Amino acid sequence: MSLSNLIKNWSSLRVKRPYQDQYKNADYKWGMVIDLDSCTGCNACTTACYAENNLPVVGKESFSKGQAMHWLRIERYWGEGTELAQFPDHGAQFLPMMCQQCESAPCEVVCPVGATHHTPDGLNSQVYNRCIGSRYCSANCPYKVRYFNWWQYPERAWPNPLEKQLNPDVTVRSKGVMEKCTFCVQRLTAAKNQARTDGRRVADGEVTTACAQACPTSAITFGNMADSQSQVAKIWARQQVELASDKQDKKDEGLRGYRIFEELRTYPSVLYLERVRNSDA
Amino acid sequence: MKFYINATLAFAMLLCTAVVLAEPFVSGGAIGSQTDDGYNALGPVVVQPIEFPHNTHAGTMGINCMYCHTYARRSAVSGIPRLDKCMGCHNLIESVKDKPRIKQLFAYWEKKEAIPWLKVHDLPDFVRFNHERHIQRFYFKDGRPVREVCGYCHGDVASMTTARRVKALSMGWCISCHQKDHQESATNLKTSNGPNDCWQCHK
Repeated sequence: MSLSNLIKNWSSLRVKRPYQDQYKNADYKWGMVIDLDSCTGCNACTTACYAENNLPVVGKESFSKGQAMHWLRIERYWGEGTELAQFPDHGAQFLPMMCQQCESAPCEVVCPVGATHHTPDGLNSQVYNRCIGSRYCSANCPYKVRYFNWWQYPERAWPNPLEKQLNPDVTVRSKGVMEKCTFCVQRLTAAKNQARTDGRRVADGEVTTACAQACPTSAITFGNMADSQSQVAKIWARQQVELASDKQDKKDEGLRGYRIFEELRTYPSVLYLERVRNSDA
Repeated sequence: MKFYINATLAFAMLLCTAVVLAEPFVSGGAIGSQTDDGYNALGPVVVQPIEFPHNTHAGTMGINCMYCHTYARRSAVSGIPRLDKCMGCHNLIESVKDKPRIKQLFAYWEKKEAIPWLKVHDLPDFVRFNHERHIQRFYFKDGRPVREVCGYCHGDVASMTTARRVKALSMGWCISCHQKDHQESATNLKTSNGPNDCWQCHK
């Protein structure tokens, strides 16, 4: 952003974000819905993410040190503090956790070099070339979904000829940079490009993330929330969850939609649908 | 001892300065000039298997760039034409069949081998550049001449034999154009910029 740009758009840049109807006139605002009732914890999404985004498999030793690079992980909960805890064999609950693409992201403000910032279509970007590896963003992320390259993984993870499986549309990150879920930005860019040539907006269902595509139970829904007729926008509206609000004022009872750590005012773009539990079981 | 180190350092610095200052004169600062390691001011010097005369095809004959680089208007990459594209015309052009470069071309055709062309405008792997967006905007929407549009990044290829890299193709160079106010068309005075978001180009 040049200085002239800054001066010209000063008033719009001084607005507190997110605000109501911020994306009303925008073309794109990518969002996601994860139905925990459908999630079986099968890890297909994680595997798809590894394949799509060139994630290195770090090995047992590094994994035990917490150096795994899974942008999308399945968290397990054993129902602590509830009656489900008595039945650990039956009570495991799964929660796919990836970058929540916060509208007011804690990671963005602390980056000393501006390697992570907000894109116009509501993504929280990570520019590997700019990253100096201070890891401040990771420390400030309440979801712990940022992953640091502790090693030069390319040689370790993809010895010849495995490098041929790499996705050419995604950078192979090198040692010393931070990385995280991008909502498969390479797919979004390709879809937006095609739509632009055709002179239209990306249609609902035209593009989806690798995790949503791989999910056998369709627990993950991905789409454009700026399009009020899209699947995600409809679910958000039905669950009465407002993107730019940190306290949801739901009019109806029994709605399952919630966002994780909403009270921290990160305004995540991922909506989770609570699991329906049968307490009599 | 102390003096000795200082003197050595000073001499080394002097030498460095001299080399840095003299460098433009030594290499002439010209684009075509080449150093020992096969690099010139703008990147590696590429020696193609056949010295393809762009000046004849695009210059004298006035063939549209996109006749051969056919994917430029509909894909991220412009594409290097396949051998059968060359043969489609050259099979029928009797007058130049005995020229050395055409003989080379036919030799590849007889051997059923692809010509191992080398990439001249090679961007780093972390950059997402899209030919289609630029061609659609400036050639099809604005109706600017194709030599001018391709020339923004590739220089005047119609005056070269094998293509050479004459533009910096660095990030600052891309941004310098993206920040400019481009008139939407010859008749429309409305201006617009290229995108300046990091993720448009960085992947």
